[in-house]
Amino acid sequence: MPDLTLTNTVPQSRRVKLLAILAVAAVALVIVGPLFLDRFALNVLTRSMIFAILAITVDLLWGYTGILTFGQAAFFGAGAYVTAMLLTHVGSNPALLALGLVLSIVVPMLIGGAVGWLTFYPGSSDFYATIISLVVPIVITQLIYSGGTWTGSSSGLVGYWGINLGLDGYFRLAGLSLVAIAVAALVFVRSDAGRILTAIRNNEMRCAYLGINTNRIKILLTAILGGVAGFAGYLYANASGVVAPENAGFIFGTELVVWTALGGRGTIVGPVVGAIGIGYLSAQLSGDLPFLWQLLIGTLFVVMIIFLPNGLAALATGFRERARAGTAPRLVAEAPARPHRESDAPLLDIRNLEKSYGSQKVLEDITLSVQPGELVSLVGPNGAGKTTLMRCMTDGAAASGGIVRINGESIAGMVPNQIVARGIGRKFQVASVFESLTVAECLRMARTTLDAPSIVKTSDVLGLPQTAIDILRLSGLDQMLGTSVSLLSHGQKQSLELVMVVSLEPELILLDEPTAGLTKTERTTIGEVLKTLTAECGIAAILVEHDLDFVRDISSRIVVLHQGRLVLDGTVEDVVNDDIVKKIYSGGGHE
Amino acid sequence: MKIPKIISLVTGVMLAGTAMAQDGEPIKIGVPVGLSGANSVVAPSVVQAAELAVDEINAAGGVLGRPLELVIADDGSGAVGAQKAFDSLVYRDEVDVLISMETSAARNAGMPIVTRGQVPYIYTSFYEGKACSPYLFVNAWVPEQQVPPVVDYLMSEESKTYFLVGSDYAFGRGMLEFARNYIEATGGEVVGEEYLPMDGTDWTSIISQLKSSGADALITSTAGGAPNVTLTKQLRGAGVDLPYANLAVDEGTAKNMGADAKDILISASYITGIDSEENRAFLAAMAEKFGDELRTPNDLSVPQYEAVYLYKAAVEKAGTTDTRAVLDALKDVSFAGPRGVISMSKQHHAPLTMYLGKVMADGSVEVVDAFEAVDPGNQCPNL
Amino acid sequence: MTLILDMLTSAAILFIVATGLLTIFGVLKIINFAHGAWLTVGAYCAVATAHMGLNPWLALPLAFAAGAVLGLLTERFIVRPLYSRPLDAILATWGLGIVIGQLITLWFGRDVQFTANLIPGTVDLLGTTYSAYRLFALVAAIALGLGFSYLMEGTRLGLSARAVIMNETLARALGLDTAKIRTVTFMIGTGLAGLAGVLLTPLTSTDPTMGVAWLVGSFMLVMVAGQSFGALALACLLLGGAQVIVSTYVSPILGGITVAVLAAIILRISPKGFSRA
Repeated sequence: MPDLTLTNTVPQSRRVKLLAILAVAAVALVIVGPLFLDRFALNVLTRSMIFAILAITVDLLWGYTGILTFGQAAFFGAGAYVTAMLLTHVGSNPALLALGLVLSIVVPMLIGGAVGWLTFYPGSSDFYATIISLVVPIVITQLIYSGGTWTGSSSGLVGYWGINLGLDGYFRLAGLSLVAIAVAALVFVRSDAGRILTAIRNNEMRCAYLGINTNRIKILLTAILGGVAGFAGYLYANASGVVAPENAGFIFGTELVVWTALGGRGTIVGPVVGAIGIGYLSAQLSGDLPFLWQLLIGTLFVVMIIFLPNGLAALATGFRERARAGTAPRLVAEAPARPHRESDAPLLDIRNLEKSYGSQKVLEDITLSVQPGELVSLVGPNGAGKTTLMRCMTDGAAASGGIVRINGESIAGMVPNQIVARGIGRKFQVASVFESLTVAECLRMARTTLDAPSIVKTSDVLGLPQTAIDILRLSGLDQMLGTSVSLLSHGQKQSLELVMVVSLEPELILLDEPTAGLTKTERTTIGEVLKTLTAECGIAAILVEHDLDFVRDISSRIVVLHQGRLVLDGTVEDVVNDDIVKKIYSGGGHE
Repeated sequence: MKIPKIISLVTGVMLAGTAMAQDGEPIKIGVPVGLSGANSVVAPSVVQAAELAVDEINAAGGVLGRPLELVIADDGSGAVGAQKAFDSLVYRDEVDVLISMETSAARNAGMPIVTRGQVPYIYTSFYEGKACSPYLFVNAWVPEQQVPPVVDYLMSEESKTYFLVGSDYAFGRGMLEFARNYIEATGGEVVGEEYLPMDGTDWTSIISQLKSSGADALITSTAGGAPNVTLTKQLRGAGVDLPYANLAVDEGTAKNMGADAKDILISASYITGIDSEENRAFLAAMAEKFGDELRTPNDLSVPQYEAVYLYKAAVEKAGTTDTRAVLDALKDVSFAGPRGVISMSKQHHAPLTMYLGKVMADGSVEVVDAFEAVDPGNQCPNL
Repeated sequence: MTLILDMLTSAAILFIVATGLLTIFGVLKIINFAHGAWLTVGAYCAVATAHMGLNPWLALPLAFAAGAVLGLLTERFIVRPLYSRPLDAILATWGLGIVIGQLITLWFGRDVQFTANLIPGTVDLLGTTYSAYRLFALVAAIALGLGFSYLMEGTRLGLSARAVIMNETLARALGLDTAKIRTVTFMIGTGLAGLAGVLLTPLTSTDPTMGVAWLVGSFMLVMVAGQSFGALALACLLLGGAQVIVSTYVSPILGGITVAVLAAIILRISPKGFSRA
């Protein structure tokens, strides 16, 4: 591990200071608020601040991670009902209030974990998460209605004794909780670990191919935020003295999304302002114009989603993104983190691999073995099955028949992140990077599994293998560590992705047309890099490539695929002079 | 065009009290009510009834020389909306009393605020019973008052076996639980009891079970409005023509349902056809004040009208709007309104005359029988 | 016997309600969360027809036309910018649903509205007395299903739509006006939703929020069905049938959430639902 006790870079310490000042100001407001607010404002704001905690959880899920959820209301309702039921049916004393606090967090967390497990599995779709987030509140609400005297059915529960704090006390409790959770959320999303959420939203497949178990992260996030929502439910049950089925319903869930959207998703502060602002305004106005008020909110919501998807806070965010782009960590070379291979088996061993879609066979009877240090080029006309073959090597569910072994271990049934963890890195045909992150953040993402990122701060050093740093220098990206990826050229993105893959310290790299669309110089650079990686570092590489000259220059071995079959496997000389290859390329070139 | 109508209705309400300004600070009456959400069907009629009462009282010189002023707030027919509405009425507008009909969830959500704010609260909606607080008075019926007339009548018509259908919520379950006990206590038998979620729309399987159960009569207690209409439509569509008592339908809805509602039995403390001087005068005054905009007075709006008068009587008896004194006086005062003489004398609840009505082919409700001074039973033994 | 009829007719009603949503999802990959609002618009067309004293059956073409015209506007101004952001499209259409609901409330009032039953009374069928309208709904669902199969399989529009489903880039390269196909598809989808709204009126009350109760159920069915009307029919039969069975033998309350829960489980086991069949 590099030395982390170095002083922070200036921009980051300024951000920390700014956040600290904001937090202190918010705390001060919350503490003195009761002195000059009337009881009406206190009551309305207390509830709005509790709802704002929920808006933060929605923002983390939807705004940052890209999981559209209507289900946070269900966790909130579960926490509130657990508290109210305990206080109603068992009794109220300090011990039970403490127990209520624990249960109101643990129960929704368990539900959240179960829901997450149900929702996020390899191959699950974004829509499915949204569907489940609708089903959960419907089921919880129905349980409440059917609960008879236990849950108070439609009338809710009322008349239990919560924490004895009074109006001012609850205002301060809710306010301090909100500030604490908002600060924690802000610190987290700006930390190195927090950037993973954005990475998942940007490009979940890339995350998986960097070895990150995105489903586990999403399940964990759902469970933790379920617990936070449950805590908000605990505050609500105490402060309002009543719980009702609508607290858990999906309509409330949609309102949370509306507040988050109007305030500005992906900003934490925006949804807080949205929840408090709309809550306060609606208490002021809705008595006068109930239908027009909802009409107004609905219209505003539609307009915002279409034209200003990042909400009212979008301008402020844009400003911050630019400011953020200035921070670049210092590069540090790291000793290999991955233990050296000990297996005697071939690095990659494919036996009789088959892949078919229905009756159509795309790959048939492929047998191939790769040793460390080899640079194998996979050539063949379009539609020969090259990319499919690459996929079968990195996704245990892809093949229809045959066996793929890595270091002697079959990958059948493994998901990409498990295969990546066994030393395979894959670079895609179209550069697959994270558009919303900076170059340095992308690289850190690649190191996530080897070098666990901090959940509270942005490290000012970036440790990478020496080879990765060398490629960075070659491509000039080492001067652009703080630049947003969306500003990079096509070639720079290709290089960046290659560095990301190399940073995984793989034993085998799969590259799908790494030179497509690159200039001659860039091509030469990549060629040199690949030669160094294989010849000097002992990494094996499999390269899909159309450019036969390029292939001839760098390969140690060439494999020819044609119509799903492996027709030739030999040295550069063997293949280049082979008649079959000439025939394939002249006759069936580009269909 | 309804848009200007609603705006004028709402602004009209806001101005109602001040139009007749007398000397002295107005006495503020807070009305948290479901202008939006499930109760919004009935809420306008409740507001109109309150407006008439306030107008009449102000025209006659107000209360203790002070005018009454209404403050309306939308509770969204639910708990969260009710908290906002009660907060704004109790803490911002600092009303002297709350008078309103609301869902049970909204009432429950408002009670902690009422208690903390120490404001008298007259609840004017029929409900499942047993809501007790020193600050809470109820002048509408509870199951003990509504169910027996229906069951007694059906028993006298030789119905011995009953099928009960309800929406799965506190009122639906509370009413049918009471109905089941009463039926069994009076020698009948319940052969089926089924519920659908409140927003459920498909009664198919329940209706099939009803048909195969061989019950003599059907008693339903759904949520008001949509579920009630949906159930009745599907019952008629399936050709069910058993004696059918509906504990949740109001006169206006029954009238609108037309042929589907024919022969439905309803039990209520107010029916427009009540033949009394007070009722005729009330209906005439409503028609004159609201003209085309009139919402048919009903079993929820008339208690609202009477409650304003009950509050007036209590303030006059106490000689002040001071909460404690008014709460003491509310137990004793009475008012002769469209429903008869009302007094919340029994544990904060009111003995009422209950009417058993039958819907005719033209949608009108004919009074089949009247039961005077039906006791609400022991709702709040501790008060 | 009654049980089988209940299952068939419940499935038929679900099918009628979900077709509009499926049309849009199948071709455009967009979830129209304003679907409930369109059902409501359709039902209020029936109310308007009744107010004008017209033959209640005229409400069907009227509702289809009203739905289609509103669909045209919606597609043009709300949905078109969001094809690349399907989750945002869910939200925007949900917001639109709120707006439509409030507009209906301002126009017609909050009250429950009443319409004449299209086909009152019962029919004696194989020894049981059964609701005539529910049997009609079964016929209507079959007609709708067959009509749509014809539209998709036998007409130019259907061919174009299928081309868009399979490969939009290719379809555009072949000279198809994909933007127009999207618009027309969306209009048909919302028109069908309006039609379904009219067909619901004899079974439910008509009020500004009536559509929401049907939204989640049809959403689930469409997710399970994917893109195919055959799969939708199968989903309606299985899930609708399960709902009736659970309601009859276990509890109508559980029956009410049967469709949603079963759909979630089916999708968990087989993420593509029935569409692979």
